[in-house]
Amino acid sequence: MSAEESPRGAELPLAGCRVVEHSRSVAAAYAGRLLAAMGASVVMLEPPAGSPLRKAPPLLEGHSALFASLAAGKRSLVCDLCGAAGRRVLERELGEADILIDDTAPRERAARGLDRETIGKRFPALVHVSVRPFGASGPKADWDGEEVNLLHAGGEGFLLPNGLCYELFPDRPPLKIYGHFSEYQGGSMAAFAALSAWWATPATGGQYVDVSVQDAVLAVGAFALQRFGDGSLEHRSTRHFRYGGVFEARGGYVELLTLEDRQWNALVDLLGRPAWALEAALEDPLERSRRGDDINRHIRAWMLAHDVDDIVQWAQQLGVPAAKYRTPAEVLQGDHERARGLFAPLVLDERLKAEALVAPFQFRCSPLTPAARVPALGEMTHEPPS
Amino acid sequence: MNGPKAPLAGVRIADFTIHAAGPFCTQLLAQLGAECIKIESKARLDAFRKPHAVYGRLAAATFDQVSVNKLSVRLNLKQPEAIALAKRLVAISDVTSESFRAGVMQRLGLGFDDLKAIKPDVILVSLSSCGQSGPDSHFAGYAPLFGAWGGLGWMTGYTDGPPVEMRHVMDHSAGIHAAVATMAALHQRRRTGRAQHVDLAAREVASAMIGDALIQASLGVTPTRPGNRHLSMAPYGVYPTRQPDRWLTLAVRDDAQWQALVRELDQPAASSDPRFATAAARLRHCDALDTLLVQWLGACEADATAERLQRAGVCAHVSWSMLDIANDPHLRIRGATTEVSAHDIPQRLAVGAPARFSKTDQVGIKRLTPALGQDEDYVFGKLLGLSTAQRADLERREVIA
Repeated sequence: MSAEESPRGAELPLAGCRVVEHSRSVAAAYAGRLLAAMGASVVMLEPPAGSPLRKAPPLLEGHSALFASLAAGKRSLVCDLCGAAGRRVLERELGEADILIDDTAPRERAARGLDRETIGKRFPALVHVSVRPFGASGPKADWDGEEVNLLHAGGEGFLLPNGLCYELFPDRPPLKIYGHFSEYQGGSMAAFAALSAWWATPATGGQYVDVSVQDAVLAVGAFALQRFGDGSLEHRSTRHFRYGGVFEARGGYVELLTLEDRQWNALVDLLGRPAWALEAALEDPLERSRRGDDINRHIRAWMLAHDVDDIVQWAQQLGVPAAKYRTPAEVLQGDHERARGLFAPLVLDERLKAEALVAPFQFRCSPLTPAARVPALGEMTHEPPS
Repeated sequence: MNGPKAPLAGVRIADFTIHAAGPFCTQLLAQLGAECIKIESKARLDAFRKPHAVYGRLAAATFDQVSVNKLSVRLNLKQPEAIALAKRLVAISDVTSESFRAGVMQRLGLGFDDLKAIKPDVILVSLSSCGQSGPDSHFAGYAPLFGAWGGLGWMTGYTDGPPVEMRHVMDHSAGIHAAVATMAALHQRRRTGRAQHVDLAAREVASAMIGDALIQASLGVTPTRPGNRHLSMAPYGVYPTRQPDRWLTLAVRDDAQWQALVRELDQPAASSDPRFATAAARLRHCDALDTLLVQWLGACEADATAERLQRAGVCAHVSWSMLDIANDPHLRIRGATTEVSAHDIPQRLAVGAPARFSKTDQVGIKRLTPALGQDEDYVFGKLLGLSTAQRADLERREVIA
């Protein structure tokens, strides 16, 4: 359901915001998805064969679960930008739009009428956001990248994994974060930049905004560059927490991290106040850090002897920051998530009725309206013109 | 170019955020021109103002990325008069941001309803680990816990290994999402004139990063931890090269790129090997394929190979350390990295503006880490109109402290 169709649509944060999205990448599609989730009307311009994301894994009976998660709540318009008819459709849609999100390679833009100069001249009030793996300017603007390349180009890939996983497999190559983490950073940065430029339009008119996925990965990894400035070059073998981290328990894995003294004291209670933990020297956080390996050895033995659900329950009661590593199914069925309405039904097609995340933020004065379905290719082509 | 002001010039933020995620959000807004007033106190120093032993930092940070461009004032929020001053700051700000545990702002008398009473169109942005509602809302947490709760930690890892903890990138990802929501709330207020309370739970941002796996799970499919593998591309992954710990990342999207890869690596036999002729075949034989790639790339120099493959249209990049990033001209020219220094901060690199805007160059880092309370003349004196005598009295009674 788009904002206009919704009874509450007019109250949504981005009601009235019109977005045209031309995307092949997860980053650009995620930018559009965030805007759609907040009530913007997002039109995806797709080539006649459909967005390549429609075929991106993981697949469910031929439907892309990834595309479903990215396209929910958008509308689809087929538009062949290499032909005159398609260019007229583009012209019409941009004439109505506030924001264009495009991830076309810079060298291919002119042929599709998507170059910065043409758009800027023809639509001076439009916010034109370019989202590219390495940005649209600079010596590597023509470089291309997929998720695995971008996580490593932005510096975080080299630093993973840490802790238990690294200890178990020190000789394996660095490990990427699941899915499309880098592209999500690029996409959310693009949405932020788009809304910021749109905010400025009364003062400055439209403008062109250049967002890079690599830049966004570096931005979220800023503390590693900060440490570099402090004189230490981080490496995955040494970037572990001095103590705490991932622990295997009975029936699952626990994350445990105590940064404050009171949390350490609560952890000592959680462990049943064993003699090793009561040693006076361990009252000093610096000494605890120095003896981190010993501390972790003790915690590991204790964790293995206890049930994961019990551990996290006791821990939270005592004020020890701890969480269970939950499977997707556990997240989906979580009491907390259910209470917060994090998930809503999403129709992939008549046979496939799934559930999907509504949005990673809530607006308590005007709750978001969940998207009901994934748009069929070119569905707008059959709609009467508005 | 010295064109129009930064996009968010004129937007003011009363910033109560602590730790990493919330301050990262307001730092982004400040880099785009918002005036961000960081409210802190010497009683509860911000994390970067003291040592951080668990991270191995033994002294206060001299430079702190997430406090750039911010103004600093002191308020001891345990004092009712400080709460009254905090409310006056909220009243003259467009956005109020906080990242305490759910319920703390209410206990301080700074809950959404309290703030709305003094500023009917307030935008309160609350960033927390678990959100403002729900049975877990009182849980404290840090980035690795967000990843664990949200499912991203479970999905990350070698297929035969344990789940993996997320680090600061998870905090900061929550911060970007909060900045997106803040901007939407500002647009909404411009249109409707109404107040808004943005509720961002960092664990839900971690869940958004596994949106596809959650849809699978809702249909009864159990997603597996893929490690570095991709479900439709092969080769795809991180490969050793001739240089120790110098890895090459590689992603081959289609058959044309596969042919380009074997051509560039001078492996003519592989070009006609039926096991690798199509993407489906390469996926079926991905173990054999990876063994060959380790062999081929093991003789290659990483950086030159990445450049050659990019020229041939293949997605390749070296796994970069922060040293590589610091030396990279592309990032420097884009302003993604930027040199900063101050009288007490020797020259170093920081992360610059999150995007480039054609109409203005007034984005990015303008000021470095503020000293505690350094902007009280402007904020308490000029903006709130407190006299020198009033401020001295408030300091003496540790309201401003």
